[in-house]
Amino acid sequence: MIKLRSLMKKAVIIVAVLTMAVVLLFRYFAEPPPPPVSVSPSVQLLESRLVGRKDGLRQWEIWTQAVLQTGDVVTLTDLEEISIFQAEEAYLFIDAETAVWDRKLDILHLHASKVRDEEGDFYLESDLLIWAGTNETLTSPGPVFILWQDLEIRAAEMVLESTTNLLYLKDDVQILDGSMVWRTDSAIYDLDRESIDFYGILVLEEEAGNEQEID
Amino acid sequence: MNRRLTSLVMVVVLLVLGAGVARGQGQVGTLEITGVPTDVVAGRYDRDAGVFSADVSDIAGALVSVKLEDVTIVGKTMEWRTDDNYLLFTVEAKLTQPDFELTGDQIEYFGEEKKLKSLGSVVVITDDSTVYADQLDYDEETDEAMFTGNVRVVFSDGVLEGEKFLMLLEQSELQFFGSFQGEFSDSDD
Repeated sequence: MIKLRSLMKKAVIIVAVLTMAVVLLFRYFAEPPPPPVSVSPSVQLLESRLVGRKDGLRQWEIWTQAVLQTGDVVTLTDLEEISIFQAEEAYLFIDAETAVWDRKLDILHLHASKVRDEEGDFYLESDLLIWAGTNETLTSPGPVFILWQDLEIRAAEMVLESTTNLLYLKDDVQILDGSMVWRTDSAIYDLDRESIDFYGILVLEEEAGNEQEID
Repeated sequence: MNRRLTSLVMVVVLLVLGAGVARGQGQVGTLEITGVPTDVVAGRYDRDAGVFSADVSDIAGALVSVKLEDVTIVGKTMEWRTDDNYLLFTVEAKLTQPDFELTGDQIEYFGEEKKLKSLGSVVVITDDSTVYADQLDYDEETDEAMFTGNVRVVFSDGVLEGEKFLMLLEQSELQFFGSFQGEFSDSDD
């Protein structure tokens, strides 16, 4: 009888151990592991001011409602105004839908941009503008429309070199100056000296009903 | 002979006055620079000074031309001052319209003063005569065209040579200054 009780005890212990083993097995091996907790590497800020600097000097300043930083890339949406600085003075103001700034490369992509200067002498429109901080150039790789001191300028591509104030216009360049229309392959407009160099074939047409003549 | 010269005079009058009339009516004018590679500067417009200049003299086949109605002026170099409407063509400078051609080392048009000047190896070709001179000055206000220096008027049947030759266009008069020599074969005038 004692032997039977001993056997029963052993059997209960074995069953208990086995039950625990099965529970543990199902819990940790048969069931899928719980999903890893998603921890975003980005940082999101609201209502911020971003300042781009080079050698300690402000290059640009952005007021924005939303900033999302992922690695070296900062994406800005709900932008208010972007200011481009030259010698610590804001000289260009940009309205854009979104801006993407690669901090490492110091390149700022501006989508659906409209640029103007303080005096209202300069206005620029482009679907995409790229500000490269290293060489301080503003590039429109696609069609661009510019108003500059009574000139209406259109080109398939554009690069504005802010250090020299040279405006490089490429392909299908058209400059409307009052009643005169200049058409050329490419042109370089020196904004400081107010002179335009025309490259390749040039056509100037003077439209009817004007006062200025070309003969 | 006088009739032939008068016809030449009238051509010059029509040429210059024609351009003036076209201006008055606001006609379309065109400036073209052709034959310039895309990586070479064809011209420069200085907005501050109001001066457009072009020099394609080093580019073979390149040419600057200005067209207004049926008048065309071409050259290898060109300067256009927009403020006083001064135009200068040099190097292979030529002014043409259907029945008239003027070539010279340079052709200038002074828009404000309404004067046309051509200097150096001046040649004026019309349907029935050719005039050679060192210089041509045309004054739109007074309707006078003055040929000076080694003037030579060549017709199909004769030649006139002298130093100074004035066409008074309104009066249809010709004035020869200094000695003039003429040589004609049988004339049908």
